[in-house]
Amino acid sequence: MIRIENVYKSFGNLEVLKDISLTVEKGEVVCIIGPSGSGKSTLLRSLNHLERITGGRIYIADELVDERLNDKEVSRISAKKVSEICSELGMVFQRFNLFPHMTVLENVMLSPMKVKGVSKQTAMEKALELLKKVGLIDKKDEYPPKLSGGQQQRVAIARALAMEPKIMLFDEPTSALDPELVYEVLDVMKALAKEGMTMVVVTHEMGFAREVADRVVFMDNGEIIEAGSPDNIFSNPTQTRTREFLSRII
Amino acid sequence: MDDRMVRVIGILQDSFFPLLKAGVTFTVPLAIISFFLGMIVAFTVAIIRVTRFKPLLPIARFYVWIIRGTPLLVQLFIIFYGLPTIGVTLDAFVSGVIGFTLSVGAYGSETIRAAILSVPKGQWEAAHALGLSRIQTLMYVIIPQAFKVAIPPMANSFISLVKDTSLAATITITELFQVAQQITARTYEPLWLYMEAAFIYLIFCSVLSVMQSRLELRFGKSGD
Repeated sequence: MIRIENVYKSFGNLEVLKDISLTVEKGEVVCIIGPSGSGKSTLLRSLNHLERITGGRIYIADELVDERLNDKEVSRISAKKVSEICSELGMVFQRFNLFPHMTVLENVMLSPMKVKGVSKQTAMEKALELLKKVGLIDKKDEYPPKLSGGQQQRVAIARALAMEPKIMLFDEPTSALDPELVYEVLDVMKALAKEGMTMVVVTHEMGFAREVADRVVFMDNGEIIEAGSPDNIFSNPTQTRTREFLSRII
Repeated sequence: MDDRMVRVIGILQDSFFPLLKAGVTFTVPLAIISFFLGMIVAFTVAIIRVTRFKPLLPIARFYVWIIRGTPLLVQLFIIFYGLPTIGVTLDAFVSGVIGFTLSVGAYGSETIRAAILSVPKGQWEAAHALGLSRIQTLMYVIIPQAFKVAIPPMANSFISLVKDTSLAATITITELFQVAQQITARTYEPLWLYMEAAFIYLIFCSVLSVMQSRLELRFGKSGD
């Protein structure tokens, strides 16, 4: 589903991704863990062009998303193509990023109507169904700033799902939440994983990674240090850096 | 009451309606038309600058640089007294509208640009991630939020503009201040006449302030 080949990324002289290669299969849940500044979020954001890689290749569903060498485009990717790719990738952000001037329902309906040209009626039916799924149907006419962080993040998940993405990307979805609100978001994500959604989750929630992930990737300093089943990573890490990181947070 | 007082009160009574009429027929239309056209210019320039639309970006920057760097009074003189020497003769009111429009456009574009830039980056990112194009993002996500931010400074510029239209007196437009000058020339009561003119400006601007509060209340409802 996702194929990342020899990806590099630098901000000026700072190299944040160094020769990253990673494949995510259909239906797989991959959790990326690692210390802050290790490049996890940058890697995730490269998938939908929120960051442009400086070298390497990225494929989504066998389609080339980005191919660059020394910060120059090797293959030209049109804006239209980028938009198509984005609509196959749902993304959930740490800070929710809901549109504060629209109601919850309007937030969820906007992109299907504007990007896919779905009729208002169809978009609304779909949005209501998704809001029911994340347990927020009664909040449909509220404005996002009136909701708790956990509720906002669940709306953000519904909004991303409204585009019927093939893959969901989560960028530290619970890091901005009060501890007691973390679970309501994780529960929605677990349900999604159970339905067979392909998911890439950058997270600090080790419990979630352990329970839900098919594969855990440990990143440090712009490199993938180790990847494997949750059991292997959490119980028998082979690399010193992985062990050090885990001992610090667990 | 002494004779002087009686005379002054008489002059003030006689001049109130001519002044108010000049305000309503020239000052207010000049301000409203210039503001409306100026906002169109301002919005266009702001969008060119925010989206860094290459072909027009230098022109937009040059325009803002010239208008902000030269006095409005001088601009009005160039348009009304200067242009006829190269064969472009414009009606005084039209000259005024052009001058004020250009001014509102330049200053307003900076306000609108700042308002657009004040919308958090995460909003652009979320829209991009959902597949919206840059134009769609501006239309549905950024501008509605920027609009709310821009209301107070925009209302401020409109109130400023109403007062700035008094500069139009210098290019023969018979707006409020020009009429006050004419009556003063006849009656030699500059203190009272100009105070009266100031009072009428104050009424206009107070009405606008109230309208601003209403507008802020109306658009402040959604969101935070």
